[in-house]
Amino acid sequence: MAVETLGGAFGAATRKGRGHSFATPAVLAATLVLLYLWVSTRQLDSMEARVLSAAFIRDAALTHLTVTAVSASLVVVIAIPLGVLLTRPFARRLAPWVMAAANAGQAAPALGVLVLLSILFGIGTRIAVVTLVLHATLPVLRNTIAGIQQVDTALLEAGRGMGMSRGQILRRLELPLAVPVVMAGLRTTIVICVGIATVATFINAGGLGDIIVAGIKLQRTSILVTGGVLTAVIALALDWLAGLAEKYVRPHGI
Amino acid sequence: MSDIKLVDVTKQYEGQPQPAVDAVSLDIAAGELVVFVGPSGCGKTTTMKMINRLIEPTSGQILLGGADVMSIEPNELRRHIGYVIQQIGLFPHMTISENIQLVPGLLGWNRDRSRRRADELLDLVGLDPAAYRDRYPRQLSGGQQQRVGVARALAADPPVMLMDEPFGATDPITRERLQKEFLRLQAELRKTIVFVTHDFDEAVKLGDRIAVLKERSRVAQYDTPARILAAPADDYVASFAGSATAIKRLALIPAVRLPGEPLDERDGLPVLERGGSARDALDLMVRRGTSRVAVGDRTVDFAMICALLEDEHGR
Repeated sequence: MAVETLGGAFGAATRKGRGHSFATPAVLAATLVLLYLWVSTRQLDSMEARVLSAAFIRDAALTHLTVTAVSASLVVVIAIPLGVLLTRPFARRLAPWVMAAANAGQAAPALGVLVLLSILFGIGTRIAVVTLVLHATLPVLRNTIAGIQQVDTALLEAGRGMGMSRGQILRRLELPLAVPVVMAGLRTTIVICVGIATVATFINAGGLGDIIVAGIKLQRTSILVTGGVLTAVIALALDWLAGLAEKYVRPHGI
Repeated sequence: MSDIKLVDVTKQYEGQPQPAVDAVSLDIAAGELVVFVGPSGCGKTTTMKMINRLIEPTSGQILLGGADVMSIEPNELRRHIGYVIQQIGLFPHMTISENIQLVPGLLGWNRDRSRRRADELLDLVGLDPAAYRDRYPRQLSGGQQQRVGVARALAADPPVMLMDEPFGATDPITRERLQKEFLRLQAELRKTIVFVTHDFDEAVKLGDRIAVLKERSRVAQYDTPARILAAPADDYVASFAGSATAIKRLALIPAVRLPGEPLDERDGLPVLERGGSARDALDLMVRRGTSRVAVGDRTVDFAMICALLEDEHGR
Protein backbone atom coordinates (compact mmCIF):
# COMPACT_ATOMS: atom_id res chain seq x y z
CA MET A 1 0.00 0.00 0.00
CA ALA A 2 1.37 3.35 -0.97
CA VAL A 3 2.55 4.95 2.22
CA GLU A 4 4.81 7.18 0.21
CA THR A 5 1.87 9.06 -1.29
CA LEU A 6 1.37 10.48 2.16
CA GLY A 7 5.09 10.36 2.76
CA GLY A 8 5.35 13.99 3.76
CA ALA A 9 2.82 13.78 6.54
CA PHE A 10 3.97 10.32 7.62
CA GLY A 11 7.64 11.23 7.68
CA ALA A 12 7.05 14.44 9.56
CA ALA A 13 4.84 12.64 12.05
CA THR A 14 7.30 9.89 12.81
CA ARG A 15 10.50 11.87 12.81
CA LYS A 16 9.40 14.75 15.00
CA GLY A 17 10.52 14.45 18.59
CA ARG A 18 8.32 14.41 21.66
CA GLY A 19 8.49 18.14 22.13
CA HIS A 20 5.82 20.01 20.18
CA SER A 21 6.50 23.23 18.38
CA PHE A 22 4.44 26.22 19.36
CA ALA A 23 5.59 28.14 16.30
CA THR A 24 2.47 27.16 14.34
CA PRO A 25 -0.11 28.54 16.80
CA ALA A 26 1.99 31.67 17.26
CA VAL A 27 2.11 32.34 13.52
CA LEU A 28 -1.62 31.60 13.19
CA ALA A 29 -2.48 33.97 16.04
CA ALA A 30 -0.30 36.67 14.50
CA THR A 31 -2.04 36.16 11.16
CA LEU A 32 -5.45 36.61 12.77
CA VAL A 33 -4.31 39.76 14.57
CA LEU A 34 -2.97 41.21 11.30
CA LEU A 35 -6.21 40.33 9.54
CA TYR A 36 -8.20 42.05 12.27
CA LEU A 37 -6.03 45.16 12.19
CA TRP A 38 -6.20 45.32 8.43
CA VAL A 39 -9.97 44.99 8.32
CA SER A 40 -10.53 47.41 11.18
CA THR A 41 -8.47 50.17 9.48
CA ARG A 42 -10.68 50.01 6.40
CA GLN A 43 -13.82 52.00 5.83
CA LEU A 44 -16.44 49.22 5.55
CA ASP A 45 -19.57 49.75 3.52
CA SER A 46 -22.91 48.35 4.68
CA MET A 47 -22.52 45.01 2.87
CA GLU A 48 -19.01 44.49 4.22
CA ALA A 49 -20.11 45.50 7.70
CA ARG A 50 -22.91 42.93 7.62
CA VAL A 51 -20.72 40.00 6.49
CA LEU A 52 -17.73 40.97 8.61
CA SER A 53 -19.72 41.30 11.82
CA ALA A 54 -18.56 39.21 14.75
CA ALA A 55 -21.85 37.30 14.88
CA PHE A 56 -21.82 36.39 11.18
CA ILE A 57 -18.19 35.23 11.25
CA ARG A 58 -18.68 33.28 14.47
CA ASP A 59 -21.72 31.45 13.08
CA ALA A 60 -19.94 30.63 9.83
CA ALA A 61 -16.82 29.41 11.62
CA LEU A 62 -18.80 27.32 14.10
CA THR A 63 -20.81 25.69 11.32
CA HIS A 64 -17.59 25.05 9.44
CA LEU A 65 -15.96 23.45 12.46
CA THR A 66 -19.04 21.37 13.21
CA VAL A 67 -19.28 20.03 9.66
CA THR A 68 -15.55 19.26 9.71
CA ALA A 69 -15.64 17.60 13.13
CA VAL A 70 -18.70 15.48 12.34
CA SER A 71 -17.25 14.41 8.98
CA ALA A 72 -13.80 13.57 10.35
CA SER A 73 -15.38 11.61 13.21
CA LEU A 74 -17.50 9.65 10.77
CA VAL A 75 -14.43 8.95 8.67
CA VAL A 76 -12.66 7.58 11.76
CA VAL A 77 -15.64 5.43 12.68
CA ILE A 78 -15.96 4.08 9.14
CA ALA A 79 -12.41 3.94 7.77
CA ILE A 80 -10.48 2.48 10.72
CA PRO A 81 -12.69 -0.59 11.21
CA LEU A 82 -12.92 -1.00 7.44
CA GLY A 83 -9.15 -0.78 7.12
CA VAL A 84 -8.66 -3.32 9.91
CA LEU A 85 -11.16 -5.62 8.24
CA LEU A 86 -9.39 -5.38 4.91
CA THR A 87 -6.12 -6.56 6.46
CA ARG A 88 -7.70 -9.73 7.88
CA PRO A 89 -6.92 -12.84 5.85
CA PHE A 90 -10.55 -13.56 4.95
CA ALA A 91 -11.17 -10.07 3.54
CA ARG A 92 -7.77 -9.28 2.09
CA ARG A 93 -8.98 -10.03 -1.44
CA LEU A 94 -11.58 -7.27 -1.16
CA ALA A 95 -8.98 -4.62 -0.39
CA PRO A 96 -8.25 -3.57 -4.00
CA TRP A 97 -11.98 -3.10 -4.69
CA VAL A 98 -12.62 -1.02 -1.60
CA MET A 99 -9.49 0.99 -2.23
CA ALA A 100 -10.69 1.65 -5.79
CA ALA A 101 -13.98 2.93 -4.40
CA ALA A 102 -12.20 5.16 -1.88
CA ASN A 103 -9.88 6.43 -4.60
CA ALA A 104 -12.88 7.22 -6.78
CA GLY A 105 -14.44 9.03 -3.83
CA GLN A 106 -11.43 11.25 -3.50
CA ALA A 107 -10.90 11.70 -7.23
CA ALA A 108 -14.48 12.77 -7.93
CA PRO A 109 -14.84 16.56 -7.76
CA ALA A 110 -16.39 17.35 -4.41
CA LEU A 111 -18.57 20.08 -5.81
CA GLY A 112 -20.03 17.75 -8.44
CA VAL A 113 -20.76 15.07 -5.87
CA LEU A 114 -22.30 17.65 -3.60
CA VAL A 115 -24.64 18.93 -6.30
CA LEU A 116 -25.61 15.43 -7.45
CA LEU A 117 -26.36 14.32 -3.92
CA SER A 118 -28.41 17.44 -3.24
CA ILE A 119 -30.45 16.87 -6.39
CA LEU A 120 -31.15 13.32 -5.24
CA PHE A 121 -31.60 13.87 -1.53
CA GLY A 122 -32.18 17.56 -1.01
CA ILE A 123 -29.99 20.27 0.45
CA GLY A 124 -28.61 20.89 3.91
CA THR A 125 -25.83 20.11 6.32
CA ARG A 126 -26.33 16.36 6.20
CA ILE A 127 -25.62 16.14 2.51
CA ALA A 128 -22.53 18.28 3.00
CA VAL A 129 -21.30 15.84 5.65
CA VAL A 130 -21.95 12.86 3.37
CA THR A 131 -19.94 14.53 0.59
CA LEU A 132 -17.06 15.23 2.93
CA VAL A 133 -17.01 11.67 4.24
CA LEU A 134 -16.97 10.27 0.69
CA HIS A 135 -14.19 12.63 -0.22
CA ALA A 136 -11.99 12.31 2.86
CA THR A 137 -12.19 8.61 3.74
CA LEU A 138 -9.23 7.57 1.62
CA PRO A 139 -6.30 8.87 3.73
CA VAL A 140 -7.45 7.21 6.94
CA LEU A 141 -8.46 4.01 5.17
CA ARG A 142 -5.25 3.73 3.22
CA ASN A 143 -3.08 4.56 6.21
CA THR A 144 -4.91 2.11 8.47
CA ILE A 145 -4.18 -0.64 5.97
CA ALA A 146 -0.61 0.53 5.41
CA GLY A 147 -0.04 1.04 9.13
CA ILE A 148 -1.07 -2.51 9.93
CA GLN A 149 0.84 -3.97 7.01
CA GLN A 150 4.06 -2.22 7.96
CA VAL A 151 4.19 -3.98 11.34
CA ASP A 152 7.30 -6.16 11.36
CA THR A 153 6.32 -9.76 10.61
CA ALA A 154 8.88 -10.97 13.18
CA LEU A 155 6.73 -9.33 15.87
CA LEU A 156 3.62 -11.10 14.65
CA GLU A 157 5.50 -14.37 14.52
CA ALA A 158 6.77 -13.82 18.06
CA GLY A 159 3.25 -12.99 19.23
CA ARG A 160 1.79 -16.05 17.58
CA GLY A 161 4.57 -18.25 18.92
CA MET A 162 3.86 -17.01 22.43
CA GLY A 163 0.23 -18.02 22.15
CA MET A 164 -1.53 -14.72 21.45
CA SER A 165 -4.86 -15.14 19.70
CA ARG A 166 -5.62 -13.25 16.48
CA GLY A 167 -7.67 -10.72 18.43
CA GLN A 168 -4.89 -10.19 20.96
CA ILE A 169 -2.35 -9.73 18.17
CA LEU A 170 -4.62 -7.12 16.57
CA ARG A 171 -5.39 -5.23 19.78
CA ARG A 172 -2.02 -5.42 21.46
CA LEU A 173 0.41 -5.41 18.55
CA GLU A 174 -1.02 -4.37 15.19
CA LEU A 175 -3.25 -1.47 16.24
CA PRO A 176 -0.85 0.24 18.67
CA LEU A 177 2.00 -0.07 16.21
CA ALA A 178 -0.17 1.35 13.40
CA VAL A 179 -1.17 4.43 15.39
CA PRO A 180 1.45 6.85 14.00
CA VAL A 181 0.57 6.00 10.41
CA VAL A 182 -3.18 6.12 11.04
CA MET A 183 -2.83 9.49 12.76
CA ALA A 184 -0.90 10.86 9.79
CA GLY A 185 -3.84 9.81 7.61
CA LEU A 186 -6.28 11.45 9.99
CA ARG A 187 -4.40 14.74 9.80
CA THR A 188 -4.66 14.65 6.03
CA THR A 189 -8.38 13.88 6.29
CA ILE A 190 -8.97 16.80 8.65
CA VAL A 191 -7.18 19.26 6.39
CA ILE A 192 -9.14 17.98 3.37
CA CYS A 193 -12.38 18.33 5.33
CA VAL A 194 -11.70 21.95 6.30
CA GLY A 195 -10.95 22.81 2.70
CA ILE A 196 -13.83 20.98 1.09
CA ALA A 197 -16.33 22.16 3.71
CA THR A 198 -16.23 25.57 2.00
CA VAL A 199 -18.37 24.20 -0.85
CA ALA A 200 -21.16 23.39 1.62
CA THR A 201 -22.35 26.93 1.07
CA PHE A 202 -23.68 25.93 -2.38
CA ILE A 203 -26.32 23.70 -0.84
CA ASN A 204 -27.16 26.15 1.88
CA ALA A 205 -25.22 24.29 4.56
CA GLY A 206 -23.33 27.36 5.77
CA GLY A 207 -19.73 27.52 6.84
CA LEU A 208 -16.88 29.79 5.85
CA GLY A 209 -17.82 29.19 2.21
CA ASP A 210 -20.64 31.69 2.85
CA ILE A 211 -18.07 34.41 3.48
CA ILE A 212 -15.84 33.48 0.56
CA VAL A 213 -18.72 33.30 -1.90
CA ALA A 214 -20.14 36.57 -0.58
CA GLY A 215 -16.73 38.15 -1.17
CA ILE A 216 -16.69 36.90 -4.74
CA LYS A 217 -20.25 37.88 -5.55
CA LEU A 218 -19.99 41.31 -3.93
CA GLN A 219 -16.49 41.85 -5.28
CA ARG A 220 -15.27 42.89 -1.82
CA THR A 221 -11.63 41.99 -1.28
CA SER A 222 -11.90 42.43 2.48
CA ILE A 223 -14.63 39.80 2.71
CA LEU A 224 -12.86 37.41 0.34
CA VAL A 225 -9.56 37.68 2.19
CA THR A 226 -11.23 37.24 5.56
CA GLY A 227 -13.01 34.07 4.45
CA GLY A 228 -9.90 32.62 2.82
CA VAL A 229 -7.55 33.40 5.68
CA LEU A 230 -9.97 32.05 8.30
CA THR A 231 -10.31 28.77 6.38
CA ALA A 232 -6.56 28.38 6.10
CA VAL A 233 -6.01 29.25 9.76
CA ILE A 234 -8.58 26.69 10.88
CA ALA A 235 -7.05 24.00 8.66
CA LEU A 236 -3.54 24.61 9.99
CA ALA A 237 -4.75 24.92 13.59
CA LEU A 238 -6.63 21.62 13.45
CA ASP A 239 -3.64 19.94 11.82
CA TRP A 240 -1.47 21.22 14.65
CA LEU A 241 -3.95 20.01 17.27
CA ALA A 242 -4.14 16.60 15.61
CA GLY A 243 -0.35 16.45 15.69
CA LEU A 244 -0.50 17.21 19.40
CA ALA A 245 -3.09 14.48 19.89
CA GLU A 246 -0.91 12.07 17.98
CA LYS A 247 1.89 12.60 20.49
CA TYR A 248 -0.45 11.54 23.27
CA VAL A 249 -2.03 8.51 21.64
CA ARG A 250 1.17 7.22 20.03
CA PRO A 251 2.57 4.42 22.21
CA HIS A 252 5.82 5.09 24.03
CA GLY A 253 8.83 3.25 22.74
CA ILE A 254 8.17 3.75 19.04
CA MET B 1 9.01 -32.79 32.79
CA SER B 2 8.20 -33.06 29.16
CA ASP B 3 9.84 -35.26 26.62
CA ILE B 4 9.18 -34.72 22.93
CA LYS B 5 8.55 -37.54 20.51
CA LEU B 6 8.31 -37.08 16.75
CA VAL B 7 6.83 -40.04 14.93
CA ASP B 8 6.98 -40.09 11.13
CA VAL B 9 6.27 -36.37 10.97
CA THR B 10 5.72 -35.17 7.43
CA LYS B 11 4.92 -31.75 6.00
CA GLN B 12 3.81 -31.66 2.40
CA TYR B 13 3.05 -28.23 0.95
CA GLU B 14 0.50 -28.18 -1.82
CA GLY B 15 1.97 -27.88 -5.28
CA GLN B 16 5.42 -28.99 -4.16
CA PRO B 17 6.84 -32.16 -5.75
CA GLN B 18 8.50 -33.29 -2.50
CA PRO B 19 7.57 -32.91 1.13
CA ALA B 20 9.40 -30.16 3.06
CA VAL B 21 9.76 -32.55 5.96
CA ASP B 22 9.77 -36.24 5.16
CA ALA B 23 8.80 -38.81 7.81
CA VAL B 24 11.03 -37.54 10.61
CA SER B 25 11.17 -39.55 13.82
CA LEU B 26 13.11 -38.30 16.84
CA ASP B 27 12.98 -38.80 20.59
CA ILE B 28 14.02 -35.92 22.79
CA ALA B 29 14.35 -36.74 26.46
CA ALA B 30 13.02 -34.42 29.14
CA GLY B 31 15.64 -31.90 30.20
CA GLU B 32 17.73 -32.50 27.12
CA LEU B 33 19.07 -29.81 24.79
CA VAL B 34 18.83 -31.10 21.23
CA VAL B 35 20.24 -29.08 18.36
CA PHE B 36 18.80 -29.42 14.87
CA VAL B 37 21.64 -28.57 12.56
CA GLY B 38 21.58 -28.52 8.79
CA PRO B 39 22.00 -26.24 5.79
CA SER B 40 19.53 -23.46 5.01
CA GLY B 41 16.28 -24.74 3.59
CA CYS B 42 16.71 -28.27 4.88
CA GLY B 43 13.46 -28.08 6.81
CA LYS B 44 14.89 -27.84 10.31
CA THR B 45 12.87 -24.76 11.21
CA THR B 46 9.73 -26.26 9.70
CA THR B 47 10.27 -29.35 11.82
CA MET B 48 10.68 -27.24 14.95
CA LYS B 49 7.63 -25.10 14.21
CA MET B 50 5.45 -28.18 13.97
CA ILE B 51 6.12 -28.83 17.65
CA ASN B 52 4.19 -25.70 18.70
CA ARG B 53 1.85 -25.95 15.73
CA LEU B 54 2.97 -22.76 14.03
CA ILE B 55 3.03 -25.18 11.13
CA GLU B 56 0.63 -28.10 11.08
CA PRO B 57 2.04 -31.47 10.07
CA THR B 58 0.44 -33.22 7.10
CA SER B 59 0.86 -36.60 8.74
CA GLY B 60 2.63 -38.24 11.64
CA GLN B 61 2.43 -37.49 15.31
CA ILE B 62 4.16 -35.19 17.76
CA LEU B 63 3.88 -36.13 21.41
CA LEU B 64 4.69 -33.68 24.16
CA GLY B 65 4.96 -35.41 27.53
CA GLY B 66 2.91 -38.19 25.96
CA ALA B 67 0.10 -35.94 24.72
CA ASP B 68 -0.53 -35.44 21.00
CA VAL B 69 0.01 -31.74 20.28
CA MET B 70 -2.82 -31.85 17.75
CA SER B 71 -5.22 -32.50 20.62
CA ILE B 72 -4.22 -29.28 22.41
CA GLU B 73 -5.68 -25.88 21.48
CA PRO B 74 -2.82 -24.14 19.60
CA ASN B 75 -2.69 -20.92 21.64
CA GLU B 76 -2.89 -22.85 24.89
CA LEU B 77 -0.11 -25.14 23.65
CA ARG B 78 2.13 -22.21 22.68
CA ARG B 79 1.69 -20.46 26.01
CA HIS B 80 3.37 -23.46 27.61
CA ILE B 81 6.25 -23.65 25.16
CA GLY B 82 8.96 -20.99 25.29
CA TYR B 83 9.71 -19.55 21.85
CA VAL B 84 12.78 -17.56 20.84
CA ILE B 85 13.44 -16.37 17.29
CA GLN B 86 16.49 -14.95 15.61
CA GLN B 87 14.91 -11.53 15.07
CA ILE B 88 14.10 -11.58 18.82
CA GLY B 89 10.79 -9.85 18.17
CA LEU B 90 10.59 -7.79 21.35
CA PHE B 91 7.50 -5.59 21.14
CA PRO B 92 8.85 -2.05 20.69
CA HIS B 93 5.88 -0.31 22.31
CA MET B 94 6.10 -2.31 25.52
CA THR B 95 8.72 -1.93 28.23
CA ILE B 96 11.17 -4.74 28.90
CA SER B 97 9.13 -5.79 31.91
CA GLU B 98 5.86 -5.71 29.94
CA ASN B 99 7.44 -7.83 27.23
CA ILE B 100 8.43 -10.47 29.77
CA GLN B 101 5.04 -10.33 31.49
CA LEU B 102 3.19 -11.02 28.28
CA VAL B 103 2.74 -14.79 28.51
CA PRO B 104 2.06 -14.76 32.27
CA GLY B 105 -0.60 -12.16 31.45
CA LEU B 106 -2.11 -14.44 28.80
CA LEU B 107 -2.17 -17.21 31.38
CA GLY B 108 -4.06 -14.99 33.80
CA TRP B 109 -1.40 -14.45 36.44
CA ASN B 110 -2.08 -11.42 38.58
CA ARG B 111 0.00 -8.32 37.93
CA ASP B 112 2.08 -8.50 41.09
CA ARG B 113 3.17 -12.03 40.44
CA SER B 114 3.98 -11.30 36.77
CA ARG B 115 5.97 -8.24 37.76
CA ARG B 116 7.98 -10.11 40.37
CA ARG B 117 8.59 -12.88 37.87
CA ALA B 118 9.87 -10.39 35.28
CA ASP B 119 12.35 -8.97 37.79
CA GLU B 120 13.46 -12.45 38.76
CA LEU B 121 14.09 -13.34 35.11
CA LEU B 122 15.97 -10.14 34.36
CA ASP B 123 18.22 -11.06 37.27
CA LEU B 124 18.61 -14.57 35.89
CA VAL B 125 19.77 -13.36 32.47
CA GLY B 126 22.14 -10.87 34.05
CA LEU B 127 20.27 -7.59 33.60
CA ASP B 128 19.68 -5.39 36.64
CA PRO B 129 15.88 -5.18 37.00
CA ALA B 130 15.96 -1.70 38.51
CA ALA B 131 17.91 -0.38 35.55
CA TYR B 132 16.18 -2.26 32.75
CA ARG B 133 12.57 -3.09 33.61
CA ASP B 134 11.12 0.23 32.47
CA ARG B 135 13.25 0.68 29.38
CA TYR B 136 12.03 0.13 25.87
CA PRO B 137 13.63 -2.47 23.58
CA ARG B 138 15.24 0.08 21.26
CA GLN B 139 17.22 1.40 24.23
CA LEU B 140 19.01 -1.95 24.57
CA SER B 141 21.92 -3.43 22.63
CA GLY B 142 21.39 -6.50 20.45
CA GLY B 143 22.90 -8.83 23.03
CA GLN B 144 20.78 -7.36 25.82
CA GLN B 145 17.68 -7.67 23.65
CA GLN B 146 18.42 -11.32 23.02
CA ARG B 147 18.80 -11.90 26.77
CA VAL B 148 15.39 -10.33 27.24
CA GLY B 149 14.10 -12.56 24.44
CA VAL B 150 15.25 -15.61 26.39
CA ALA B 151 13.83 -14.19 29.63
CA ARG B 152 10.49 -13.61 27.90
CA ALA B 153 10.40 -17.19 26.66
CA LEU B 154 11.12 -18.42 30.20
CA ALA B 155 8.48 -16.19 31.79
CA ALA B 156 5.80 -18.76 32.52
CA ASP B 157 8.42 -21.41 33.30
CA PRO B 158 7.56 -23.63 30.33
CA PRO B 159 9.03 -27.15 30.45
CA VAL B 160 9.84 -26.96 26.73
CA MET B 161 11.63 -24.26 24.74
CA LEU B 162 11.97 -23.86 20.99
CA MET B 163 14.83 -21.67 19.83
CA ASP B 164 15.27 -20.72 16.18
CA GLU B 165 18.84 -19.50 15.63
CA PRO B 166 18.53 -17.25 18.67
CA PHE B 167 22.13 -16.04 18.56
CA GLY B 168 22.43 -15.95 14.77
CA ALA B 169 22.19 -12.19 14.37
CA THR B 170 24.71 -11.20 17.03
CA ASP B 171 28.41 -10.47 16.56
CA PRO B 172 30.86 -13.31 17.34
CA ILE B 173 31.95 -11.96 20.73
CA THR B 174 28.41 -11.35 21.94
CA ARG B 175 27.36 -14.71 20.56
CA GLU B 176 30.01 -16.55 22.49
CA ARG B 177 29.04 -14.77 25.69
CA LEU B 178 25.35 -15.49 25.13
CA GLN B 179 26.13 -19.15 24.44
CA LYS B 180 28.09 -19.46 27.68
CA GLU B 181 25.36 -17.78 29.71
CA PHE B 182 22.79 -19.92 28.03
CA LEU B 183 24.65 -23.13 28.96
CA ARG B 184 24.94 -21.93 32.55
CA LEU B 185 21.21 -21.19 32.55
CA GLN B 186 20.32 -24.55 31.07
CA ALA B 187 22.51 -26.38 33.61
CA GLU B 188 20.35 -24.75 36.25
CA LEU B 189 16.93 -25.02 34.59
CA ARG B 190 17.12 -28.34 32.69
CA LYS B 191 14.46 -27.43 30.15
CA THR B 192 13.69 -29.65 27.22
CA ILE B 193 15.08 -27.54 24.39
CA VAL B 194 14.97 -27.80 20.63
CA PHE B 195 17.59 -25.44 19.26
CA VAL B 196 17.85 -24.80 15.53
CA THR B 197 21.07 -23.56 13.94
CA HIS B 198 23.07 -23.93 10.74
CA ASP B 199 26.32 -23.46 12.69
CA PHE B 200 27.81 -26.86 13.46
CA ASP B 201 30.30 -25.44 15.95
CA GLU B 202 27.45 -23.86 17.86
CA ALA B 203 25.67 -27.22 17.84
CA VAL B 204 28.76 -28.93 19.26
CA LYS B 205 29.13 -26.29 21.93
CA LEU B 206 25.53 -26.32 23.11
CA GLY B 207 23.91 -29.64 22.33
CA ASP B 208 23.49 -32.60 24.63
CA ARG B 209 22.66 -34.32 21.38
CA ILE B 210 22.74 -33.12 17.80
CA ALA B 211 20.39 -34.11 15.02
CA VAL B 212 22.25 -33.53 11.77
CA LEU B 213 19.55 -33.00 9.16
CA LYS B 214 19.82 -33.22 5.42
CA GLU B 215 17.33 -32.21 2.76
CA ARG B 216 13.65 -32.75 3.61
CA SER B 217 14.74 -32.74 7.23
CA ARG B 218 15.80 -36.39 7.09
CA VAL B 219 17.99 -37.34 10.04
CA ALA B 220 21.52 -38.12 8.88
CA GLN B 221 22.78 -38.74 12.40
CA TYR B 222 21.36 -38.21 15.86
CA ASP B 223 23.94 -38.52 18.60
CA THR B 224 26.10 -36.73 21.15
CA PRO B 225 28.53 -34.12 19.78
CA ALA B 226 31.53 -36.27 20.80
CA ARG B 227 30.22 -39.31 18.96
CA ILE B 228 29.30 -37.39 15.85
CA LEU B 229 32.79 -35.89 15.76
CA ALA B 230 34.44 -39.25 16.46
CA ALA B 231 32.33 -41.36 14.14
CA PRO B 232 30.32 -39.44 11.57
CA ALA B 233 27.64 -41.69 10.11
CA ASP B 234 28.36 -40.80 6.49
CA ASP B 235 30.18 -38.39 4.19
CA TYR B 236 27.42 -35.83 4.54
CA VAL B 237 27.82 -35.65 8.31
CA ALA B 238 31.61 -35.72 7.97
CA SER B 239 31.55 -32.78 5.56
CA PHE B 240 29.24 -30.93 7.89
CA ALA B 241 31.45 -31.59 10.88
CA GLY B 242 34.31 -30.07 8.91
CA SER B 243 38.01 -30.44 9.50
CA ALA B 244 39.95 -30.79 12.75
CA THR B 245 37.26 -32.89 14.37
CA ALA B 246 39.75 -34.41 16.84
CA ILE B 247 40.57 -30.93 18.09
CA LYS B 248 36.85 -30.08 18.27
CA ARG B 249 36.30 -33.21 20.36
CA LEU B 250 39.01 -32.17 22.77
CA ALA B 251 37.14 -28.94 23.34
CA LEU B 252 34.27 -30.99 24.79
CA ILE B 253 36.46 -32.66 27.43
CA PRO B 254 37.27 -30.74 30.60
CA ALA B 255 41.02 -31.00 31.29
CA VAL B 256 40.39 -32.10 34.88
CA ARG B 257 38.89 -35.29 33.47
CA LEU B 258 42.19 -36.22 31.83
CA PRO B 259 44.18 -38.94 33.59
CA GLY B 260 47.23 -37.36 35.14
CA GLU B 261 50.16 -37.96 37.42
CA PRO B 262 50.59 -36.19 40.71
CA LEU B 263 52.54 -33.00 40.44
CA ASP B 264 55.70 -33.26 42.57
CA GLU B 265 56.72 -29.69 42.64
CA ARG B 266 56.04 -26.94 40.21
CA ASP B 267 59.09 -27.63 38.11
CA GLY B 268 58.42 -24.83 35.68
CA LEU B 269 55.52 -26.51 33.87
CA PRO B 270 53.02 -24.19 32.23
CA VAL B 271 49.81 -24.08 34.28
CA LEU B 272 46.42 -24.47 32.62
CA GLU B 273 43.70 -22.04 33.70
CA ARG B 274 40.89 -23.44 35.80
CA GLY B 275 37.95 -24.70 33.76
CA GLY B 276 40.09 -25.25 30.68
CA SER B 277 39.35 -28.04 28.26
CA ALA B 278 41.63 -30.75 26.88
CA ARG B 279 41.93 -28.57 23.79
CA ASP B 280 43.14 -25.68 25.93
CA ALA B 281 45.74 -28.04 27.44
CA LEU B 282 46.91 -29.06 23.99
CA ASP B 283 46.98 -25.46 22.88
CA LEU B 284 49.15 -24.61 25.87
CA MET B 285 51.56 -27.44 24.99
CA VAL B 286 51.86 -26.27 21.41
CA ARG B 287 52.36 -22.67 22.44
CA ARG B 288 55.02 -23.47 25.06
CA GLY B 289 56.70 -26.27 23.11
CA THR B 290 56.31 -28.74 25.98
CA SER B 291 54.57 -32.09 26.08
CA ARG B 292 53.45 -31.68 29.69
CA VAL B 293 51.31 -29.09 31.46
CA ALA B 294 50.05 -28.66 35.01
CA VAL B 295 46.33 -29.06 35.52
CA GLY B 296 45.40 -28.32 39.10
CA ASP B 297 47.61 -30.54 41.29
CA ARG B 298 48.44 -32.97 38.50
CA THR B 299 50.41 -33.08 35.29
CA VAL B 300 48.93 -34.08 31.97
CA ASP B 301 51.03 -35.07 28.98
CA PHE B 302 50.44 -35.25 25.24
CA ALA B 303 50.29 -39.06 25.13
CA MET B 304 47.45 -39.05 27.65
CA ILE B 305 45.41 -36.73 25.47
CA CYS B 306 45.93 -38.98 22.45
CA ALA B 307 45.03 -42.04 24.49
CA LEU B 308 41.87 -40.32 25.70
CA LEU B 309 40.72 -39.61 22.15
CA GLU B 310 41.31 -43.28 21.40
CA ASP B 311 39.16 -44.27 24.42
CA GLU B 312 36.45 -41.76 23.63
CA HIS B 313 36.15 -43.15 20.13
CA GLY B 314 33.52 -45.66 21.06
CA ARG B 315 31.91 -43.68 23.87
